[in-house]
Amino acid sequence: MKELPLALAEMRNIHKWYGKVHAVDGVSLTINNGEIVGLLGDNGAGKTTLIKVLSGYHRPDDGEIFIEGEKVRINSPSEANALGIETVYQEQALVDSMSVARNFYMGREPVKRAGFLDKQKMNECMIPLRTLGLSIKSPDILVRNLSGGEKQGAAIARAMYFKAKLVILDEPTRALAVREVSRILDFVKGLKEANIAVIFITHTLHHVHSVADRFAIMNKGKIVKDIKRDEASLEELTEVLMD
Amino acid sequence: MKERSSGTRHEVRQLFSRVASLREAIVFGIAIALFVLFNVLSGGKFASSDVIGIMAISTSELGIVVLGVALLMICGEFDLSVGSVSAVGALIAATLYQLGLNPFLATAIAVGGGMGAGAVNGLVTVKFGIPSFIVTLGALMAWRGFVTLVTGGLSVIFRVRETHPAFFSVLQGHVGRVSAPLVWFVVTAIILGLLLHFHRFGNHVFATGGNKEAARAMGINTNKTKVICFMIVGGLAAFSGIMQIARSRGFQAAQGTGMELTAIAAAVVGGTSLYGGVGSIVGAVLGVLIIVFLEFGLIMARVPGFWYKLILGVIIIAVVIANKLLEQRRKLA
Repeated sequence: MKELPLALAEMRNIHKWYGKVHAVDGVSLTINNGEIVGLLGDNGAGKTTLIKVLSGYHRPDDGEIFIEGEKVRINSPSEANALGIETVYQEQALVDSMSVARNFYMGREPVKRAGFLDKQKMNECMIPLRTLGLSIKSPDILVRNLSGGEKQGAAIARAMYFKAKLVILDEPTRALAVREVSRILDFVKGLKEANIAVIFITHTLHHVHSVADRFAIMNKGKIVKDIKRDEASLEELTEVLMD
Repeated sequence: MKERSSGTRHEVRQLFSRVASLREAIVFGIAIALFVLFNVLSGGKFASSDVIGIMAISTSELGIVVLGVALLMICGEFDLSVGSVSAVGALIAATLYQLGLNPFLATAIAVGGGMGAGAVNGLVTVKFGIPSFIVTLGALMAWRGFVTLVTGGLSVIFRVRETHPAFFSVLQGHVGRVSAPLVWFVVTAIILGLLLHFHRFGNHVFATGGNKEAARAMGINTNKTKVICFMIVGGLAAFSGIMQIARSRGFQAAQGTGMELTAIAAAVVGGTSLYGGVGSIVGAVLGVLIIVFLEFGLIMARVPGFWYKLILGVIIIAVVIANKLLEQRRKLA
């Protein structure tokens, strides 16, 4: 007997209005476990709005969301986090001016009595960091003193440690140099290796083409194409995007 | 043997880095240097117990506000209305006292009023997405106008020293040889220091000021964090205002004028970033000391008063430039 693969996240018939603008017009999108989905579309196609519904920033005006088969209502980013959904905005996963440990537990701080930080527990973030092969010397080092690769590793280690199932990257490659783009793509591959699904939002097909398992292309609030990578050529996708 | 001593040195350095950063060490050095300089210039009068006593009160009344202002700046926002809010707090307390209310109760209500004013600043800032610089500039003028309107520019008497000696000694008395305002300042600094550097809330403050989007994505309610910081500032400003009228025995409509800029100056001199996310309570305390040393040192050196403002202005800009250069060097390294 073959086990039925349960979708990690499923959005059904999502609608979102901004005044008279129908930003998301009846979109259904499924993300499977450990899958990298490239969400493509021009500016204003509704990509970010759709994703903000999933990450708890916006509530849909209509439609349903299922996480691992269970119907959920996501009212805030922290509720999304609790469901295993994390959002990373444009390479802004970490706060540069804070230490590694403080970043690692940001928003989910281990505390002792009366909300005081359990610093000993916080230093344990070094274990997942080392497991990932990062040679960060101390949990007290400021993130701004880490290399690009170390920052990325720290963000992956955090997502893994808190058992994220889905990481949403919103335009992570916008305004980046070529080398930085390839770093982001490494980050995405790192997440996939950890069996974490990724939604990669971009309007530059060419950035996501090498890493994505599937593409969903949005236009005017609707998904106009949802296709696996092996079934679509770069030319074909470009054509849909250009329409 | 050698290894062991270097190990100890490492531990000492680690302990030091936990308590204070290099930045604070530099600011501490500057404070000490200023103290020594002014003491020499004044022929030893600067370090006399009389002058230190007066400076302690001045440091405390300004410092309690600076602590709040620094906290808020770390959270990424400004409050220009602290001077006016301190006046509103003092006016509420003095008026309720005139109406026969117990001054302890009057103080509690006035501090609550200050927190309310802070909450308004905060809510308007986050709900309408307006820079707090503008919101609190409006509040600065509006509350000052309100105070002048209500009092008609007249003073309100607050002679608690005679009528409520217990209340007076809590705010302006002494604990041993230490004046009560200094005790309040130190206690406030310790509480806020614990909150900022050792509590979950402080982590949210640093995250909100350092990178709001990252903080939100990690589930931190950045709006709530900001509003709480605004409320803390408002409450502290009102409390400082009440401390002042207990000492001066009456409320005057111009009380607290100009305090906002001195407070921001002290916070910045103490290493608080104008861009949010960076700063410390130790730094804020040292920043207040430097400002107060400058003010009193120049007076005692008989330097005309406008020099104080001129020097203060230059120092603020110099500190911000120095921080920027430090930052660039760090990026290059």
